[in-house]
Amino acid sequence: MKLSMAARKSKEAYIFILPGFIYLLIVCGYPLLYNIDLSFKNLNVKNFASGESVFVGLENYKTLLADQTFRLVFKNTLEFTFACLLIQFTVGFLFAMFFSKKFTLAGPIRGLVLVGYMMPMSVTALLGKNLFLLDGGVINDLLMKLHLVSAPVDWLVNGGTALSAVIAVNCWVGIPFNMLLLTSGLTGISEDVYESASIDGATSFQRFLYITLPLMKSAMLSVLMLGFIYTFKAFDLMFIMTAGGPFNSTDVLGTYAYSRAFTQYEFSQGSTIAMILFVCLFCVGLFYLKLLGKEDD
Amino acid sequence: MDKNEIREARRMYLKSKEGRRNIMNCIFAVIIAVFFLFPIYWLIQMSFKTDMESFGKIVTYYPHEFTVDPWLQNLRDADFLTSLKNSVLIAVCAMVISLGFGVPAAYGMGRYKVRGTKTFMLTFLVTQMLPASVMLTPMYLTFSKLGLLGTYWAPAIAVASGSVPFIVVTLRPYFKSIPVSLDEAARIDGCNVFRSFFRIMIPTIKTGIITVVVISFLNGWNDLIYSMTFNVKADMRPLTANIHKFQSKYGTKWNCIMAYGAILTIPVILAFVFLQKYIVGGLTAGAVKE
Amino acid sequence: MKKRIQKLTALLLFGSLTVSLLTGCGGGNSGSSGGDGSSSSEESSESSGGAGEVTLWHYFEHEAPDLEAIVEKYNEEQDKIHITATYVSREELMNQYTIGAVSGELPDIGMVDSPDMASYVSLGVFEDITDDVGSWEDLDQFYPGPLLSCQDADGKYYGLPNNSNCLTLACNMDILKKAGFNEPPTTWDEFRKVCEKTTNASDGVYGFAMCAIGTEEGTFQLLPWICSAGGNIDTLDSPESIKGIQFLTDLVQDGLMSKEVINWQQSEAYNSFCAGKAAMLESGTWQLADIDEKINGTFEYQYALLPKDEEYSSTIGGENFGVCTGTEYRDECVDFLKYLMNAQNNADFTAAAAKLPVRKDAVSLNELFTTDERYAVFNEGMNYARARGPHAQWPTLSEAFYTAVQQSLLGEKSAEDAMKDAAATIDPIVAEDPLPEASIGGGVADDVN
Repeated sequence: MKLSMAARKSKEAYIFILPGFIYLLIVCGYPLLYNIDLSFKNLNVKNFASGESVFVGLENYKTLLADQTFRLVFKNTLEFTFACLLIQFTVGFLFAMFFSKKFTLAGPIRGLVLVGYMMPMSVTALLGKNLFLLDGGVINDLLMKLHLVSAPVDWLVNGGTALSAVIAVNCWVGIPFNMLLLTSGLTGISEDVYESASIDGATSFQRFLYITLPLMKSAMLSVLMLGFIYTFKAFDLMFIMTAGGPFNSTDVLGTYAYSRAFTQYEFSQGSTIAMILFVCLFCVGLFYLKLLGKEDD
Repeated sequence: MDKNEIREARRMYLKSKEGRRNIMNCIFAVIIAVFFLFPIYWLIQMSFKTDMESFGKIVTYYPHEFTVDPWLQNLRDADFLTSLKNSVLIAVCAMVISLGFGVPAAYGMGRYKVRGTKTFMLTFLVTQMLPASVMLTPMYLTFSKLGLLGTYWAPAIAVASGSVPFIVVTLRPYFKSIPVSLDEAARIDGCNVFRSFFRIMIPTIKTGIITVVVISFLNGWNDLIYSMTFNVKADMRPLTANIHKFQSKYGTKWNCIMAYGAILTIPVILAFVFLQKYIVGGLTAGAVKE
Repeated sequence: MKKRIQKLTALLLFGSLTVSLLTGCGGGNSGSSGGDGSSSSEESSESSGGAGEVTLWHYFEHEAPDLEAIVEKYNEEQDKIHITATYVSREELMNQYTIGAVSGELPDIGMVDSPDMASYVSLGVFEDITDDVGSWEDLDQFYPGPLLSCQDADGKYYGLPNNSNCLTLACNMDILKKAGFNEPPTTWDEFRKVCEKTTNASDGVYGFAMCAIGTEEGTFQLLPWICSAGGNIDTLDSPESIKGIQFLTDLVQDGLMSKEVINWQQSEAYNSFCAGKAAMLESGTWQLADIDEKINGTFEYQYALLPKDEEYSSTIGGENFGVCTGTEYRDECVDFLKYLMNAQNNADFTAAAAKLPVRKDAVSLNELFTTDERYAVFNEGMNYARARGPHAQWPTLSEAFYTAVQQSLLGEKSAEDAMKDAAATIDPIVAEDPLPEASIGGGVADDVN
């Protein structure tokens, strides 16, 4: 009995897809279930050993959503994510376009700019901490020498500026990443398309709007979606650079979950925070799929 | 062409519109590079400073007292070569696993009309949506049951679980854009699915493949949290773990940390420089050649 | 067709080669490649016949060789167990305990910071060794403060303290003398005057440097200031506690102490002092290990007790060792703990590590403690030093405390409001599980000072 062409094609597809799918289910599926389970209990250091943690339903969620610190942390996460995405994507795109032009130094300098992404985040975070030091930080030193400020800015000491400093460092890492992904997308567009458009009289701006953007749509979508997920659940940078301080002003959902679970031993709270983060990302994921679906048609 | 003619040609070029634009672009690029690379410069110059100078009262922009001691402290460390080996192994394992699972999955979802595409995509993305901090304990339990603790597989598998969805999301559009004609031509030539996958599909999207190879390697190379949590023993630790040597109760030795950062980045940069030919070639070759 | 088979075989061979290579080097077997480069690898192959493999995890850094020396001696002197000591960075080790509480994967012997032990005891990480240790005749030689940190609310023992340290005042005498002070200050008023005279904004010199970071280190350094005024962490809304914090707030607000202290670890305050950027420092015992090297003769320094308001005060720090649950060699491990903490070993180790011994009888066994005048100050400080907790939820109390202090220091809230808010978090917790009676005095035999 021979399978029909379509069915055999489907079967082939599954052979390609299933290994990865199952791998991820095993490695990441269990943690997901584990955290969902914990978020409905009230496990912490007091009842851990006695095993008396009980099912508390949505209690954790209610408490957290009403908690002031959590709200601040949530706000920080949103601020951080949107600011970073905006800056990284725009600048990354501009860089991708600029460095795609054919001029002598394009290749080497594009390669150099990538270094920011290649460094491990732990080092970048420490570098950032060093640069933004109040006394002895080079950024303050430069600002003072250029007479842009009259006194050293208390970057990481002041709640207002700390998040900006963290965003700046994250963008420094994220711009090369965006540039890298968008470059491969850009070079996929053949020169001929642009040429025929110029011949037809399109200005460079029109070429950009009507050729570049539409043809880059899937690349842009991927970059934005991935960027959103990674930025939203960021952890290393603020953990090492500011430890979420001062006063939770650079605490994001990722670091707050860690501190609740590992520093305060409020395991259920940590999982609840992670689940709230998950739900947010899930919604964004659904939205992305919708856009993807449209594009497929 | 003799020397004078070459010189003349060059001058003509530089004066021409194209030449001038080239110079302007170059200057602009250099300005960008200066701003962007200043932190790197800072890192490198700090790695050659003495302890006293690195937390001295005045900010110095270059080492007044040059010393290679911070580098030696990193390199002379008895376990340096072991850590290096570990970093390489973990990164390569992670890369192989991610590519092995991710590329076929991207292919399957890109070139076939599969009924569960949306579900698969959602699942791939969903696995990314938990922060690492809460994944540690359950992953630890899983690896413990599978007996993978204390091997290179545990951190490699954990890191790869982050790279696989990335590969799928990034490569899927590439696979989709390959014209069906290529597929059919391959079939006519007698290739079956798997052969055409390896022989034709992958080389066709060299650009994308190179990108994901680089990024999945880097994810493994730069990993800290998974390697540290799943492998406690000193002889299994990668280079990234050395950060704790310089950041402790006794101080943050900035100069040593900067040297350590440079050491971690240099192999990657070197690999990049040597593979430049292929990477740059790949990046600018375009996705599909008709 | 042939080519495909060839290719598949090649792939398979390559795959299996890689797998075998990796699992071979992977070291799934624990003791084989000798945890941390010490000579234990040779010994393990010799004694692998009978001795049980025991893992010990610690986060000692420059003290590590001294610990390993003791471990080596113990390994040689008996053949029931073979201990391998592995360094794990502090943050990572704490995570391993937390994860280990869930997974059951713990080392056999583990080291922990004294205020953290209560939480891990509560999580079931450490084994109850009361029957072994409770009747040990050496036990009454131990100072009560450090010993208390190894116990739970019912007085059961879960480990033994290994070393102690406390906080005192280090003064840059060159700066002080130039400002007209020949002796370190003893009271808060004198202290304040010294700060005012020695702070020099144009030179970048502050009067005082301490650590007020948002972690346990901050609490460690901040507690003496409320306790000296007569307050405590479970009475934060009392006028005494508020007075203590107000004093520190004024120092920052008046520019005598850098705002950045809220981001500084103790090491950064220490670096600042050694670089001559601060006239005085809240210094810990372990800093004696490299202070001479760091200062390198650029100025003269002198130690004194932290200045007092109502009474002298300091905080006890130190590390404890415990036997973890689930170990196969419980009795042997307890035996090792007793060995590690016997009088001679304790004296030798703490002297080499720039720490203070936890036993009265150890003090006389090493002349360092009696002859070095800096140690004399720390020894005296131990008489006034308080333990933190033990309390299973100490991290929560700690967090409320240092957050409130930081808010006050930076002027986000008034000292009074900040303390009241902190008390609102702390009071319910201590109402349910009260802190043990303030255990003051972790230190020194009467005949030394």
